[in-house]
Amino acid sequence: MAHQQQGTSNISYREVNDDVIKSMTETGRGFYLVLAVCIVGLALTFGLPWAYQIYVGQGVTGLQSPEYWGLYLTNFVFWIGISHSGTLLSAILFITQTPWRRSIYRSAEAMTFFSVVTAATMVFIHMGRPWNFYWPFPYPNQREMWTNFQSPLMFDVFAIGTYSTSSFLFLYFGSIPDLAAVRDRVTGWRKRFYGALALGWRGTDREWHLLQKAYTFCAVFIIPLAVSVHSIVSWDFASSKIPGLNKTIFAPYFVIGAIYSGTAGIITLMVILRRALKFEKYITKVHFDKLGMLLVVMSLLWTYVNVTEVFTGWYANTSYENEALKYRMFTTPSAYLFWLMIACNAFFPLLYIFRKIRLSIVASLLISIGINLGMWIERFLIIETSLPRKFLPFMWRDYHPSWVEWSITAGSFIFFTSLFVLFVKFWPSFSIYEIKEDIGIPMERKGR
Amino acid sequence: MSKAVLGFFPYVDKLLRAAQRLKDAGFTDIEVLSPIPIGHEIEHILGEKKNPVKYFTFFGSVAGFIFGTLLALGSAALYILPRYGKPIWPLTPTVIITYESTILLGVYITLIGFLIFGRLPCFRERTYDIKISIDQFALLVRAKKDRLIQVEQIIREAGAEEVKRVDEK
Repeated sequence: MAHQQQGTSNISYREVNDDVIKSMTETGRGFYLVLAVCIVGLALTFGLPWAYQIYVGQGVTGLQSPEYWGLYLTNFVFWIGISHSGTLLSAILFITQTPWRRSIYRSAEAMTFFSVVTAATMVFIHMGRPWNFYWPFPYPNQREMWTNFQSPLMFDVFAIGTYSTSSFLFLYFGSIPDLAAVRDRVTGWRKRFYGALALGWRGTDREWHLLQKAYTFCAVFIIPLAVSVHSIVSWDFASSKIPGLNKTIFAPYFVIGAIYSGTAGIITLMVILRRALKFEKYITKVHFDKLGMLLVVMSLLWTYVNVTEVFTGWYANTSYENEALKYRMFTTPSAYLFWLMIACNAFFPLLYIFRKIRLSIVASLLISIGINLGMWIERFLIIETSLPRKFLPFMWRDYHPSWVEWSITAGSFIFFTSLFVLFVKFWPSFSIYEIKEDIGIPMERKGR
Repeated sequence: MSKAVLGFFPYVDKLLRAAQRLKDAGFTDIEVLSPIPIGHEIEHILGEKKNPVKYFTFFGSVAGFIFGTLLALGSAALYILPRYGKPIWPLTPTVIITYESTILLGVYITLIGFLIFGRLPCFRERTYDIKISIDQFALLVRAKKDRLIQVEQIIREAGAEEVKRVDEK
């Protein structure tokens, strides 16, 4: 039998199962090639430099007084930001019952989880002694070095720990019906693997009812959680007394920036997934149109908070603040980066006002990559133009990242890509049951 | 081991018709298996289902609130750490830790509630067919042996494509 969708796409329920499961079980040469590039790239750009840094010490980085927060923390904030739109957008669109969410949310949620994992690796690398990673966790110990809950860094541990585990559970529990669908179609080790992950799901009315309730409650939790996470990340900086960092607007500024970069990240991933998995019928131009409109709004909000930040700093007219602004906006080389950021994040996204641009896949890819380039620069400038201009000139010192830091930065992108490549092979990258819901409930009297 | 009847329907309206007739005939142990949620449709016939998960959400959040508060304030009391004039028991950072742990345990315990009441995980063999995860909607009716024929008849008349008897463990 065929449940045909009334409309242009004309997809049957069976076709949805076939397409998603095929993307997981049929592996072409292209996949192995990408995986091999990722593994080699990861070893060369990420693994070896990190091993070298552990062996020689933090001296191989460009971190020196007064600049102890370098590229690693720039990357940390960037990846936490990227993680934001995935689960947050999925939760908001789920609660508002937005139908176009269904084709994109699974990958977006995975993006969230992998970004948080990537961000966490940056903290370990920044630590210098990653084997002491457990020190911030509250556990009784003989040294009486109890964690200081008044430190924003401890807020980070709690916020990011909560966000990463909640995001993973949100992703996993939402996938259980699809994992069961995969279980029913595969054989051998895959059958055992997906059988264990599906937990014995049968699709009874009781199971569906409870899953939907639990999923809704989690979505309600996720929204304030996501807002709190990037607010707390912003307080790592804003609760200091450094000119350029000590800003009350930082929390909403970071949250807006995070949603902005995360949404752009979703668009980039959608373009790649659509092409690589041949999912044009699921990720349609409607998705690009809607997300493009969202990006225009986020771009305007981002511009507004940036203008506010600069205006209040200028209006305060203290010599420290003036120097921080001058160093960021008008002193090369940071001025080049600043104005490139403005172009990427405040001007180019306005092209999305035109429907033709929103519907163009190539334009969407370029603008979304541009936004994330701009957002990375934003995080870089926040950290790298504030600490080197701390109060008195005798404390000033420019920061020059070393090759190790640049390499690990590039490696973080490969790390994220590797996780995502494995995800599309081992996890249903689209929600089978929700796409079916989108197609509609089959009713004889409707002709379906 | 008891017997049950499993009927497969290609269309949900036919399944709903069968469910209504079964209910009218006095059958109460009716379960629907489907590839997508059809809760709203089926609840009209089988009655609204209870949502025990909400209690787990509530108590999970309360537990998280208490845990976070005790962790931040309790540890400040046990390990006194003077910080240039700031209070030993600070309220603002405690709120942040409490906020996060409220959400953390709220999410965890909600999902535990889902697993308990959804009777998952369950790896023993239960009545199921892989067609359900593709495009078939099924009615599973448990009844006394002497009434199974009547169940089969109602399901067939309502438009089931396939009807079979199954052993329920």
